[in-house]
Amino acid sequence: MAKTFEPKIIAFLCNWCTYAAADLAGSSRIQYPHNVRVVRVPCSGRIDPFLLIKALNSGADGILVSGCHPGDCHYLNGNYYARRRLVMFQELLIFAGVEEERLNFTWCSAAEGKRFAEIVEDVVEQVKKVGPWKGFDGRGFQEKGGMVLHELS
Amino acid sequence: MNYHKISQEIKDIAFRLLADKEVELVLGFGKEKFSGQSTPLITSSPEKAREMIFDENCAMMLANYLREHAGKKVAIIAKPCETRAIVAYLAEDLLVRDRVTIIGIQGCTGVKDNTACQECTVREPVLADYTVGEPLTDEVEAQDDLSLEEMSPQERLEYFREEFSRCIRCYACREACYACYCPVCFTDSNRPRWVEETLGINENFTFHLMRSLHMAGRCINCGACEVACPEGIDVRALAAKLYRVSRDLYSFEPGMDPEEKTLFATYDSEDPQPRFID
Repeated sequence: MAKTFEPKIIAFLCNWCTYAAADLAGSSRIQYPHNVRVVRVPCSGRIDPFLLIKALNSGADGILVSGCHPGDCHYLNGNYYARRRLVMFQELLIFAGVEEERLNFTWCSAAEGKRFAEIVEDVVEQVKKVGPWKGFDGRGFQEKGGMVLHELS
Repeated sequence: MNYHKISQEIKDIAFRLLADKEVELVLGFGKEKFSGQSTPLITSSPEKAREMIFDENCAMMLANYLREHAGKKVAIIAKPCETRAIVAYLAEDLLVRDRVTIIGIQGCTGVKDNTACQECTVREPVLADYTVGEPLTDEVEAQDDLSLEEMSPQERLEYFREEFSRCIRCYACREACYACYCPVCFTDSNRPRWVEETLGINENFTFHLMRSLHMAGRCINCGACEVACPEGIDVRALAAKLYRVSRDLYSFEPGMDPEEKTLFATYDSEDPQPRFID
C-alpha cells in the first residue's frame, strides 16, 4: 500500500449547534481534515444506534456524534436522553471488541467553530492510529464505483 | 429446595383459585405426557391444575405468556426472576396489577443448566400475592462472570466472532426473552432494512448487538435466551454486560420497583459520560 490510509468518518451533527459550528469553522476559514462526512440531524436525540451500526457496517472507519452541551438542547432534553443511549452503545461495542477510538461522542456549541476543527483533527488522528475498520468479520470492505460493497460470507 | 412440598402447595393454591373463580387461568408447569419433562401448563380447569409441578427443570419464563392473556384474570407460578419480569411489565404499563395473581416461589436456588443463576442476587419474590416454599436462611454467593472483561478487545472480538458464526438465526433467544415483544422486530423490517437475513458474521453480529441494546435497562439477566439457544451460543454475554453497566453507572436494576421509570425513559442532568471527548 503506497497510499496513506485516509479514514472515512461519518459525523452525525445536531442542526442547532455542531452543524452550525462546522459552518462557522468554514466561514472563519479554519482548516480541518476532509475525512468527515457530515449527516445533519435535527437533534442528538434523533440518533438511533441503528444509524451508527449501519455506518460501521457500510464501511465507515469511525463515527462522530456531536450535539448541544447538556442543558443547552434546542428541544430542552433531547441530548440527555441521547447521552444514556450513546453511553450504552459505546460500552456495548467496546465490549464486543470494536476499538474505542472509532466511537467518538462529544458536545460542541454553535460558537465553537475552532473546537469543532480540533475535535475532527483529534478524531482523524486517533482513527488513523487504529487503522481501517474491517467489519465484525474482519474481511474488510470493497469499494466499487463509489459504493461500498460488503462481501457476504 | 423441597420440590415435592412446593409442588403440593402450588397445586392447592391453583386449585382453590380456579375453583373459587378468583382467576380465569393459571400459568404453571406440568409434566409432558411422554418424555416426563417439565413443560408449561396453562389451564382454566381446577382438576387439571392438580397436575401442576415444580422442579429444577422449570427454566422457561412463564411471564412471557402474560402478555397474550393480559385482558384476563390470571394467576402465575413465578420464580423470583419472573416476579422481576412481571414488575418490569407493570413499569412498562403492559399489565394491570389487580388482574395478575402472583404465586411467588421463595428461596430459589436456581434452575438446571442456567449460568445466569450463579449471578443472581434476587432469591426471594419481589412482588407476590401468595408465597410457596421456605425463604433462604443463609446468604447465597452471587458472582458476576467477568472472564470476558479480562480479555483484550481483540480477544473478545475473536470470541464473539466464533460464537456468532454458529448462530442459525432461529430467533429462539428473541422468543424466549420476556422483554422482546416488539410487534415488528428490526430483523423483519424491510424499510428501512437494518440487518440482512443472510447468515453472515456481520449480520449475526449486528443482530445480537442490537437485540442486546434493545434490552439495555430491561434485561433482568435471567438467562432464558441462553437456555433457549439450540447452538449453545453465549447469547447472554452482551446483555449481561449492559446489565452491569446500567447497574454500575446509573444504579438502575430493572424489575425491582413497578413505579420506577425505565432506564431510557428518564435521565439525570448529572449522568456520567465516561468515554466522551471533553
